[in-house]
Amino acid sequence: MSSGQNRPTEKSLRRTNWVLFGVTCGFVVLALAMLANPWKATAQARIPLVDPSFLDETASRKSYADLVREKADLSDYQCYVCHEQKNPPPLRYDDQHVLVVPDEHGDIKMGHGTHNRNNLCYNCHNEGNLLTFSTRDGNELQFAESSKLCGSCHGPNYRDWEAGVHGRMNGYWNHNLGEFRRLDCVNCHNPHVPKIPARQPAPPPHPLRLPYSGEPQATPAPTP
Amino acid sequence: MSQPLQPNPAHPDETDRLMGRRNFLRSAAAFAGLGALAASLSPLRELSDYSSIDEFMQKYYKEMTPDDMARAIKRIEGEVQRQYGIRPHVRDLRPMDGVEFVYCLNLTRCIGCRKCVHACVAENNQSRNPEIQYIRVLKLPHGSMDVDKADHLYNPPAVPEKGYFYMPVQCQQCHNPPCVKVCPVHATWQEKDGITVIDYDWCIGCRYCEAACPYWARRFNFTKPDIPKERLNPNMAYLGNRPRKQGVMEKCHFCIQRTRVGRYPACLEVCPVGARKFGNILDPESEVSYILREKRIFIQLKEEMGTNPRFFYYFEK
Repeated sequence: MSSGQNRPTEKSLRRTNWVLFGVTCGFVVLALAMLANPWKATAQARIPLVDPSFLDETASRKSYADLVREKADLSDYQCYVCHEQKNPPPLRYDDQHVLVVPDEHGDIKMGHGTHNRNNLCYNCHNEGNLLTFSTRDGNELQFAESSKLCGSCHGPNYRDWEAGVHGRMNGYWNHNLGEFRRLDCVNCHNPHVPKIPARQPAPPPHPLRLPYSGEPQATPAPTP
Repeated sequence: MSQPLQPNPAHPDETDRLMGRRNFLRSAAAFAGLGALAASLSPLRELSDYSSIDEFMQKYYKEMTPDDMARAIKRIEGEVQRQYGIRPHVRDLRPMDGVEFVYCLNLTRCIGCRKCVHACVAENNQSRNPEIQYIRVLKLPHGSMDVDKADHLYNPPAVPEKGYFYMPVQCQQCHNPPCVKVCPVHATWQEKDGITVIDYDWCIGCRYCEAACPYWARRFNFTKPDIPKERLNPNMAYLGNRPRKQGVMEKCHFCIQRTRVGRYPACLEVCPVGARKFGNILDPESEVSYILREKRIFIQLKEEMGTNPRFFYYFEK
């Protein structure tokens, strides 16, 4: 083997350099691409923040006591502006013996108890003095004492409520360390329609399936 | 060096040019080495403002002296302020004497509105994106407690739906917690008021506890938690709701930052139907004592696991 054969020719050297240059360029391009990362996952839509109304701790209704505390407008409770003192308003019934709510009280829907059995105004309101309540056994109660009025019929729930077990408590579980507040019955229940109305639920957890559709998921059928 | 190429006396520069390939390979190797070094160090870029020598050197919660704790709290407050622009109030709250917490949840009352879920997220500084939620509300058909039949993604226009009841599930604060048993570094333990807590700075993120928990109560921070600045709750506790890091576990701790100063937990205070009841079971006058004394039907979820939860589900009437 002669040394001439071993020796690279000018042409082959040039070719080698071009190949190495090409390879280098390839690596540089790849390195730049890695830095720029064009194939990274496209950003998902952000999960929207929950509406602050779902974080609201205030009671859904206001009791008479709340209105007095807040020095709110109490004109709705001035019954004798319209009614006559000595002349209690008569009750009218339709042919099914269902109370007919007069137009002046059109905002009141009657639905206390089932089968319209407890839909008479004077079951709770005092016929002799519209500015008070009266229990079935004749005790007169002020508007601010409405929970006692409820308790005159709903004994077990009233007992639970007094123990802090029916309805919500706010503040301090340890009554020595701070204030606590027990809500009144009418803070949650509309006394004329006491059943708590259905409400919109807060958003469900993100199902971690992409794309997030937010569609309601199929639910198992209720058992009959 | 192996035999060099023959120098060409006519063109002395030719030698250097002929050496080109070797030089090239040598410098390419050097570059590759530097690149590999840089790549191996690149995770350090992730060490943002949420890491410091102090944090690295910090001791285990139970071994900290008051001075250590004061230092750790100062560090945490500084980090939160740097990250969120809000100076938080971080406290190390210890269990009260003569207090053992119990939670009761009235399944007859719960309407499945999920307000508790989001009040908890707001109170406890959980990540919003991805979502971390401690409470999962299960919707179950009447007549069954089989959680396999549950749906937690329900989203009807209004709840409650006819034929279903709703069961919120969160950490049950077991007497016999499987999560504590499996932790290889003792980063989670049960305190004497019954709350099972996590030292977020001691957790190594192995997720054994997540696997051990029969209630799926533990959550893992797969990414850095994303909490909007305006929704950060600055009232924080060391074992409670201080912001977590990527790679640690978290779970319901009965709102330590509230309950250990005597307040009700956030999920209870937002419940529109008063289905949630919380208190000290060692106090016979407390609401939970009354419930366990007066009500009749109680369910400790997955009772057969022997975990003995401090979380009681009950029915009315």
